[in-house]
Amino acid sequence: MKPDNSSMKATIPFLSVTGLEKSYGPHKAVNGVSLAVEEGHTLALLGPSGCGKTTILRCIAGLETPEAGRIEIGDVCVFDAAQRINLQPEARGLGIVFQSYAVWPHMTVAENVGFPLKVRKIGGAERDKRVARILEIVGLGAWHDRPATNLSGGQQQRVALARALIHEPSLVLFDEALSNLDAQLREQMRLELNLLQDKLGFTAIYVTHDQAEAFGLAEHIVVMNKGCIETQGAPRRIFHEPDTAFVARFLGFNLLPGTVTRRDGAKAEVTLPGGARISGHIPERAGQLAVGDAAIACMRKEHVHLTATPGSSMARIRGSSFLGLADEFILDFGGQELRAIQHFPEACADMAVGVEISPAHCVILPPENQ
Amino acid sequence: MLPSVISRISLCGRSATSWAERMTQQAVKPARWPQYLPMAGVVAGFLLVIGPLLATLLRSLLVFEGDDARLSLDHFIRIFKDPAIHAALGNTLICGLATTFFSLILGFSLAWLVARTDMPGRQWFEVGNLIPFFLSPYVGAISWIYLAAPNSGLAINFFKDHFGVDLSFINIYSLPGVIWVLTIFYTPYVYLFVIAPLRRMDAALEDAARVHGAGFWFTLRHVTLPLLSPALLSGALVVFVTSAGLFDVPLALASPSGIRTMPTEIFASVQYPSDFGRAAAFGVIVLCVTVLLALWQRRYLAGRRYETVTGKGYRPRLLALGPWGRAAALAFQCFYIGIGVVLPTIALVLVSLTRLWTGRFDPTRASLANYEYVLFNYQLTQQAIINSLILAVVGATLGVGLSVLQAYYLNRGAPKRRSIADAVLSLPLGIPGIILGLGFLILAIRTPLYSTLTIVLIAYIARFFPFATRTISAMFGSLNPELEQSARAAGASWAETLRHIILPLLRPALIAAWIMLFVIFIRELGATILLYAQGTETISVVLVVLSDRSFGYAAALAMVQLLLLLGAFAIMRATKTSIVQS
Repeated sequence: MKPDNSSMKATIPFLSVTGLEKSYGPHKAVNGVSLAVEEGHTLALLGPSGCGKTTILRCIAGLETPEAGRIEIGDVCVFDAAQRINLQPEARGLGIVFQSYAVWPHMTVAENVGFPLKVRKIGGAERDKRVARILEIVGLGAWHDRPATNLSGGQQQRVALARALIHEPSLVLFDEALSNLDAQLREQMRLELNLLQDKLGFTAIYVTHDQAEAFGLAEHIVVMNKGCIETQGAPRRIFHEPDTAFVARFLGFNLLPGTVTRRDGAKAEVTLPGGARISGHIPERAGQLAVGDAAIACMRKEHVHLTATPGSSMARIRGSSFLGLADEFILDFGGQELRAIQHFPEACADMAVGVEISPAHCVILPPENQ
Repeated sequence: MLPSVISRISLCGRSATSWAERMTQQAVKPARWPQYLPMAGVVAGFLLVIGPLLATLLRSLLVFEGDDARLSLDHFIRIFKDPAIHAALGNTLICGLATTFFSLILGFSLAWLVARTDMPGRQWFEVGNLIPFFLSPYVGAISWIYLAAPNSGLAINFFKDHFGVDLSFINIYSLPGVIWVLTIFYTPYVYLFVIAPLRRMDAALEDAARVHGAGFWFTLRHVTLPLLSPALLSGALVVFVTSAGLFDVPLALASPSGIRTMPTEIFASVQYPSDFGRAAAFGVIVLCVTVLLALWQRRYLAGRRYETVTGKGYRPRLLALGPWGRAAALAFQCFYIGIGVVLPTIALVLVSLTRLWTGRFDPTRASLANYEYVLFNYQLTQQAIINSLILAVVGATLGVGLSVLQAYYLNRGAPKRRSIADAVLSLPLGIPGIILGLGFLILAIRTPLYSTLTIVLIAYIARFFPFATRTISAMFGSLNPELEQSARAAGASWAETLRHIILPLLRPALIAAWIMLFVIFIRELGATILLYAQGTETISVVLVVLSDRSFGYAAALAMVQLLLLLGAFAIMRATKTSIVQS
């Protein structure tokens, strides 16, 4: 299926997962997860290691058998625990790219890439033509007959990608697909993947622990925590306005626990144990917070503004590290640790600095274990 | 509390003594000579391998006329013209190929069931499948005589008495009999070679095939088996050369019905009136085949280094077999343990308890008379047990010591010389014990070493050290060199690093290698049968002597050896070491 007809049924999910549960012994790896992706769209499963994101992907691929739930791809139910439906992996018509690339070392590049066609009994000239075309697309045209083991990591990744796309699957799964590449190559592959997806129109699911990868690739992000969905939504919303303290921490926000001292609609003020008052807003989807409740003020390091002149609150610089365009500072903020990133050449160790946090960039959230 | 993330440690100004002064203060020069020990170990290995082989080669080319010797190809010409020898070579080839074929199938299936399926009890079978590896093939052969010999076979009579099934067409004294017993004992070799790669294989390689449309069998054929081909090939070669060269089983099963094989012909050539030239020429022919196979294997494997980047490395999934599949798998697995361990042991016990074996066990007449005679009244036994224990304990200890040095060299030596050393040091893997025994016999025959326990010991170590070296070297390969380098940087000498860092880390491999050598030496027959003399008999030699006299006596002594071997197996289990390490 091609995405041309996706405009007609844009709201009907192409992949839907409902009530998925999977345990390993006593450990519940996935605990009642439901999610959906529209055709031609991209979903990223983001979370720390052990949060169950890979298990979900493997369940979708048919490589693990969940205990409960239902998985539909296109109009086909590939798994349903209640109806005892469980299609074998090869019957689900997918493509997959693994972190280890999983390029078969006993085959040449062309044999690797042509494998899905060989299995489907597409042979001869047709197979050669399609292999040549897809290798051209991923930029490996000249490597056709090389043994797959002679390739660099980035090239092996392209072989794996070509292999996952050659049979034109409507759903392609990426399991930490870019994690083994070095930073520069990762960035490049990310851009190329976006272009490829536009060109070929497949639906994609990325599993990753790297937020930059998730934000760069996906239109919809699902953040996982301990087998459950912590939050989901558009990348920009999650980036700027995390709904939970877990998400804020995972995205690298400063987390400053305190008490709500004022509340006005979505706006609120948190007073820290050190006496500093921080204003911010409570996101729509976060839980209820009343005056007197414990709360956490969260802001990005880039949004903590340090001044050499005394400000409304004061902090002391404990250490710094050079990041290039800016420095990262570790501050003692009334006994709490605060981090800030900015260009601040006047700074020196143990210097007292003023701290400004703009209310627009500060999110007030309920504490984590609620 | 604020964690101090950026600590500022100042190194200067702490001490007034200069760097140079402090260096001279602690400059206790460590002895340098221990560093040459690994090289010495390799040289010793070379001598142990090359010495007897050169002696064999030379002897095969020498023809004695009176007191004069001259170089000639007469021995080879005579061998090639002798039709009886063609038959012997043909029989050996048939045995080797058939054994390799059947053990590949059996060994791979068992390893796959244990490592990749949900067969019930697989954690027990994982270990159980290795028991035949620890048992003596000679004892295995004689227990299968007790089970399936014409007229006196326990199993054959059992089927006749209880089910009325006539199995008298089965004759264990035949080539199929030899292949049957060899397959039982060589299946664990394939199993050992295959099970580790089966477990270690990146699951994503097979998963990728499944997701991209390949079914289970297609994946097995096009992905799993090709990836295992280096392991399968190595296993097949070892099984072929060692099973074809094994003396024990043809001695017990082929010789009685006059079937000639290569190892029994060599043995016969050395018996009175002995013809060493003929035996040596035989040995050279076998060696040529072995060396050619080994070279071919090296070339084949050189192009197939299947090392892949591993990701998160989830273990391969276990295949759900379903109720019928599980039952079939269990039955298959029990069949192997049955023919390899349970039935032979039952046969040994029953025969050893019967004074005069007639093919049926009568509990009312059971007695320990055989044990009494063999252990206390037969003059050879006690000395033989002592000899075997001395050889096994001293040999295993020396062998492991030598292997540690060689493993060090093979992993840390100069890269170019390493591969040559590896090639030469693994040669004995493919040399039948009886041929190496012949080489040492030729070397020692006119020296004081002849007919001593020492020459037997040297032959044992020469024939079997590669097993220990491979086990230890495999584990050495997984040690990061930085572990040693940090010890050296911290001030330890080479010898101290070996003692405090390397040996403790290698401990599991050292124990595994020691037990393996102990087991092999307790049961060795091929080299011993040529080198023993009055007073240096081993358990295996006495077994051969006794089995000519009475089934019961042989069975009683075989029980003693079985208990020693099972004891070693139990120790290996207790120390939780594994011989699956390559």
